[in-house]
Formats: sequence, structure tokens, C-alpha cells
Amino acid sequence: MISSEKQIRAFVGGHTRLHVRGLGSKPALHQVDAPILDLSALRGIVEYQPGEFTLTVRAGTPLREVIDALGERGQYLPFDPLLPDSASIGGTVASNLSGSRRHRFGGARDFVLGATVVDGTAQSYTVGGKVVKNAAGFDLTKFLVGSLGRYAILTELTFKVFPDVKRFRSLRFTYRVLADALAASYAINRSRFELDALDILPGVAGAAVLARLGGFSETLPARVERFSEFVATTTAPQHVEVIEDELSIWDCVAGLDGACLAKVTLAPRQLPALDAAIHGAKRRYILAGNIAFVACEDAGWLGDVLARQGLRGLLLRGDARSPLLGAPLENVLAARVKATLDPLGKLV
Amino acid sequence: MNRQFIEDLREIYPGDRLLTRDVELLPYESDALTAFQTKPGAVVLPENADEIIATVRLCHEHSVPFVARGSGTSLSGGSLPIADGLTIALNRLNRIKHIDPQQRIAIVEPGVVNLHISQAAQPYGLYYAPDPSSQSICTIGGNIAFNSGGAHCLKYGMTSNHVLGMKVVLADGSLTEFGGESLDGCGIGPDLIGLFVGSEGLFGIALELTLRLLPLPELYRTVLAAFDDLGRAGDAVSLVVASGLLPGAIEIMDRLAIRAAETVGANYPDAEALLIVELEGEAPQVEAEFAQLRELIQRSGAFEIRTAQSEDERARIWKGRKSAFSAVGRLSPDYIVQDGVVPRSRLGEALLQIDALKRRYGLEVANVFHAGDGNLHPLILFDGREEGALHKAEALAGEILAMCVKLGGSITGEHGVGVEKRDYMPAMFSEAELDVMLALRKAIDPREIANRGKMFPGGEAPALTMQGMHPLERQGVISRE
Repeated sequence: MISSEKQIRAFVGGHTRLHVRGLGSKPALHQVDAPILDLSALRGIVEYQPGEFTLTVRAGTPLREVIDALGERGQYLPFDPLLPDSASIGGTVASNLSGSRRHRFGGARDFVLGATVVDGTAQSYTVGGKVVKNAAGFDLTKFLVGSLGRYAILTELTFKVFPDVKRFRSLRFTYRVLADALAASYAINRSRFELDALDILPGVAGAAVLARLGGFSETLPARVERFSEFVATTTAPQHVEVIEDELSIWDCVAGLDGACLAKVTLAPRQLPALDAAIHGAKRRYILAGNIAFVACEDAGWLGDVLARQGLRGLLLRGDARSPLLGAPLENVLAARVKATLDPLGKLV
Repeated sequence: MNRQFIEDLREIYPGDRLLTRDVELLPYESDALTAFQTKPGAVVLPENADEIIATVRLCHEHSVPFVARGSGTSLSGGSLPIADGLTIALNRLNRIKHIDPQQRIAIVEPGVVNLHISQAAQPYGLYYAPDPSSQSICTIGGNIAFNSGGAHCLKYGMTSNHVLGMKVVLADGSLTEFGGESLDGCGIGPDLIGLFVGSEGLFGIALELTLRLLPLPELYRTVLAAFDDLGRAGDAVSLVVASGLLPGAIEIMDRLAIRAAETVGANYPDAEALLIVELEGEAPQVEAEFAQLRELIQRSGAFEIRTAQSEDERARIWKGRKSAFSAVGRLSPDYIVQDGVVPRSRLGEALLQIDALKRRYGLEVANVFHAGDGNLHPLILFDGREEGALHKAEALAGEILAMCVKLGGSITGEHGVGVEKRDYMPAMFSEAELDVMLALRKAIDPREIANRGKMFPGGEAPALTMQGMHPLERQGVISRE
């Protein structure tokens, strides 16, 4: 089992092609015909300084371990890593996957401060820093978010973390048609209410908007009332419901079963056309309609839909030649980074 | 600068948009780091993206180095001209092309002034969050190049956290786009926005930017607390941070900085240290947080606590803080500002070391800092007319940066490396790390023409002189964070 940077360097040095895998929670990312560099044993928290609100952790560490360690000190990863019970922290960053709660403060890129990497030449170095603010040098740390291990292998990551919110309340507003739900999401998203999450759920008939408020328990009831009144008067929902068992509704991929599951990045104005085209699929829009999770039976079909609409997706589950769906991702800047960090094209 | 190149430039720039005479070049000789001055070979004033692209391609063809410049407010010499190179002044690309209040985005050109975006978004109840102290004059293109911060970046992050999409021309003239209108930014694939923002103009020039706007906070609560000991103010920060509150800004000023602020009529309490904490957000939540904050600050031993009761009072508290640097100029003919970062919990240690260093050097140092994220801004006061004074101040500044790195921090939190700190890069990065960055630069800009001489150690040395503050700074139009 590979559990040290030295072993990783040796692996890279000894192969002409290789593919990195963490805990394998997103099988569609690993349908590659290349030797697998398995990082599942590269785990453990290296340094956690609750007073500094920073955490350094090895890439293969299960998210659950990280989340629990932070939770014990009342802290959390504000980018709400997806698949918290099965994914590793490195895989989550390398595939840039966040859940609904990233709404408030941003995605993984906004919370990764630095990393240790091994590049395609088997060289190891650090990028970024360990302090919450740093403007020195090129920000390769951010670049590697979403890079799928194809430019350099993340071995250790440092994050900025935040104090967690004490109490939450969630509300469901239902609308006659999706367009009304999108209009409500627009109105809420530009209002002064600070939401922890804001999702759109298309249904068989109509659609719902799910909103989550977090804060001090003593102010929460009044805030929920104010918010509810605002939404009722500005968007005229058919129903308003305060959800009791609120935690369970924020797993944004729960119930999205099917052979395939993909993340799609979109602008909210593109949502109606996308939704019309994937009407038969199970889907949920998070981040006020800026990210979609789509479950379907055929990844090829979804890729075609996305390509026609100029959208891009990442397949997490299901069969496809490449996990990158839709519009091409080729970019001259990315190609030059690749030529620098992995000139022999080892990392696939 | 060769004649053919100038003639080719004239094809792109008719009339008075190509500047070559000494008298025309003079205003472009330095940026807000006035200690450095270099005369450019020429300055061009493009009015649209096509002209920028044609200019960059021409520079590549002739291997002429160029620097893109907005308002020239860089504090690290980032927009300092390159000797005999071309300065591409982007101030005329100042159109806010589109504001989409529903999607909460603004699409702008690089020469747009930071504050103008918030002003244009204000009717929709939105604003652009990053707020460098020079925001009334600095341009968004410069903010992108240096990943600018500001007092309010504690909660919502730096410039990079607010850019969703970019169109850029790389240094060899290649055009590319990344990201878009989604709040997910690059979303799928590597984060090219994250790489480009903060690259100090070494990769190319941003032609168009899609920015994230935020709803204006419903309520601000700004607290000013006075302490008779700097260490106690630092302890108060630790208390606030440990409590789980997430203020929009946490700032500290020491006695000398307070004294300086008095020269602009800040009317601060007479104290050894002042702490400014600002909460922002939904009214009921902010009020509850405010009650908690007051209790914490009282417990931390502040001898006076003031709360802004109106927008006017809030503005006054911030005016003193934001003009503290230019006000220091009234206490001393010259000063250098540093921008190092230390882990938050080591702030007290860092301040003690700065105190010891200033005694050793026999120089005055005023401290103003973003305490919430450990970003120090020591101002080293000196008189440039004294023989060797500038070099002595620079040596002290260097020791402060070395200390920041030793404590586990960074040589720059928000001003960037530029010319000023390039020789300190090896203190922070290993040879392998610097080699990778340099290789990256060469892969993207093979002729190393984009902002040549910045960021990497050992570049061509500009003339080092000391002529006091930037004229706009002296007038209080711009200020240093």
C-alpha cells in the first residue's frame, strides 16, 4: 500500500502512464486503462490548529474523519464536500465536488490554502501556504482544484475552516411550474437574507425551492418568520412548509439513483433549457441554480444534451469513455500547465 | 525601442494614443511604490480589446516587454514600467458592459474602477465585495493581477473568490476564455481563474471579467475598542475569533498609527491600541452577534468601547483606519509599508519582534493590520533625504519579511511580490518551487515579455530613489491598505 510521498514519487518514476485514485467513491472517474496509483492508505490529519482555523490533511483521508475531527471543535469545511461518507478529501478537491451548503461561502477553491504535490516528473514540492492569506507566487493550489489528478498528484492539503453554525431551520416553498421556482430562487438569492443553502427541486408537477437558514437558536424563529413572509409576498408559493427533519434533505445527491450521476455547471439562465431537455432524468439544482446533479441511464445521451447547450458536466457514476461530458474543455493555458508539470503526459 | 515597432504601434494607435515623448511618459514612471522609477519606451492607450490583442501580438513578434497598467496603485511596484518596454494603460477600457441582478453578476472591462462596480450595482441592492483601500481609484484589472484584498476580505475572500469568468490574451497573443456566468466558476476541470488571478501580469492581460456580486448587508455593526496595551488588543482578537463569530473585518492600529489618523480628524480615543470589529448581515442575527461581541470586548479589558450609531459614524471610524497610511506621511517625510502575514495566533510574537527590530535599527514603525487574518502592515518611517536612510529602512523591512516566513507565514498577504519583494521569494519558496513557477511562466510566455522583472528574483534592477509619497496619496485620494 502506498502511504508515503516517497512511494508516490517512486511509483511515478517507475511508470510511463498512471491514474490516481483515492477511495474510488466516483467510479466513473476511474475508467482508465492505466496502472492505478491508489492513495487510500495515504491518510491522517497532519496538523489541526483550531485557533488558527486551519487544517492540514493527507489526500487519501476519508472525509468523514476530517468532518468529525472538525465537528469536535465546532468547526466545519464550508464548501460542503460531496459524498461525506465515502469520498476522500483529496478526491473531493481534485474533482471539485461540493454540496448544497457551499452556497454561503464558496467552493473548495475558496478554502484550499496550499498543498504538497508530486508532479508528472516525480518531483515533490509545496504550492500555496498554510496561512489564511497569501499572495506570493502563482496560485497552483487553486489551479489543481477540479484538475482530476491529471496535472499533479495532491498528497497533502491545507484548508481554511470556519466555525460551524449552531442551529438550522429549513423551508420548502412549492410552485406551480419550474419557471416560478426559478424566479423565486432569483428573488431570494439577491435578497438580504443570508442563506446556508438554496436549492431548486423539479417535481413531477411543479417545482420546489428549498432554503436553509442557520444562526443563533434565539434569533432563528424570528428570522424564519421574516424570511417566510418575504418569500410569500414576493414569490407567491403554493405551499410553504417548515421541515422538521431538516438534516436529511440536504444530501443533494440522495435519491438521484440511476446508472449514471453527473455534476453540471451552469448559469441559472441556462436552467430552463437544460431542464426541458433532461425532463425524464432525476435532477436537483443547487447553489441557486448554478450547479445541477443529474441521474440518468445513459451518459452518452446526457453528454450530447450538454454539448448541444454549450454546457459541461463531470460523470461521477456510469459508463463513458471520458468522465468529461458536454462542451470540450481544451484550453491553451491548461495545456501549457500540463506541459510544465507533466511533460511526458504520464498522469491520465 | 526599435523604430519599426513604434511605426507598427502607430498603425494601431492614431493621434494622441501613442505616447513617446519624455514629458508624456513622466506620469507613468512609477506606481504607488514611488521608491522605484523607470522610464518606459512608450505608452499606449487602447480603447478596446482588439487593440490590446494586436499590441500584445506585436510585442511578442518584436520581443518587446510590456506591462499592463490601470491606475498605477500597486504597492509592490507591480505596474512599474520596464526600461525601454511598453506600458499598456487600460484606463479607457472602463465600461461596465452588463449587470445581471438576477444572476448577481457584472461583466466588466479591465480598466473599470473597483468602486464603480459597486456604485453601478447599488440600485439593485448588490455590491462587489473586495475593497482595497484604494478602491475609489484602483482598477479591476490590477485587482485581478494582484489578487487584491481589503479590510472586508476576512469573511468573503480576496479578488480571486469573486471572479467567475475571464477572457484573456496570453503573452504570446493566444486568446482564451475560462469560467463563465456560473457561480461555480470554472466548475469542471482545473481552476484556470484561480491560476490567472494573482499572476501579477506575468501570463497576459485580462480583457473582460465576469464578477460575482453580493447582496448589500442589511445591517452593519461597527465597534471601536480602545486598549492601553497592544497585546491586550491582540488577545481580544483571539477571544472574538475563538468565540465562533465571523466578523466582516477585524483591524488593529497601534499608538503611532492612531496618532497619524488624528491628523485627518479621526477623533479616536487616546490609546495604545485600537481594535475595529465590524459585523454585517441579516439584522436580527447581527444584533445577536453584536451583543456577544460587546461582552467579549468588555471582558478583554478595553477601557473604552464605541459603537457606530449611524452610517456617518461608521464611515468616520473607517476613514481614520483607511487613511492611516497617508496620514503617517504627515508624521514622516517617507515610509515603506510591508505586507507580511503570520499565523493569527502568533501576532503578539510578531509585534514584539517588530518592536525589537525597530529599536535595533533606530527607526519608528507604525502598525496597522488586518488582525483577523494575521496580515501585518508595518509602516517604516524614515527621511529619504538622509544618506542611507532608505537602504536602512529596506533592510528593516527585509528582516520583518524574514520573520513572517519564519513564523510560518507569507511575505505578502495582498500587495503581491512585484519588484519590491522579488528578492525575498527564495526565503519563502524552495528552489524546486521557484523553478516550477519559472518554468510555468516560460511555458505561458516563452519570451518572458509580460511584466518582465517582476515576481522572480534577480530581474533587471530599476532605479531606486526616494521622492516621498505618490502625489495622489499626498492629497488623500489614494491610500495604502
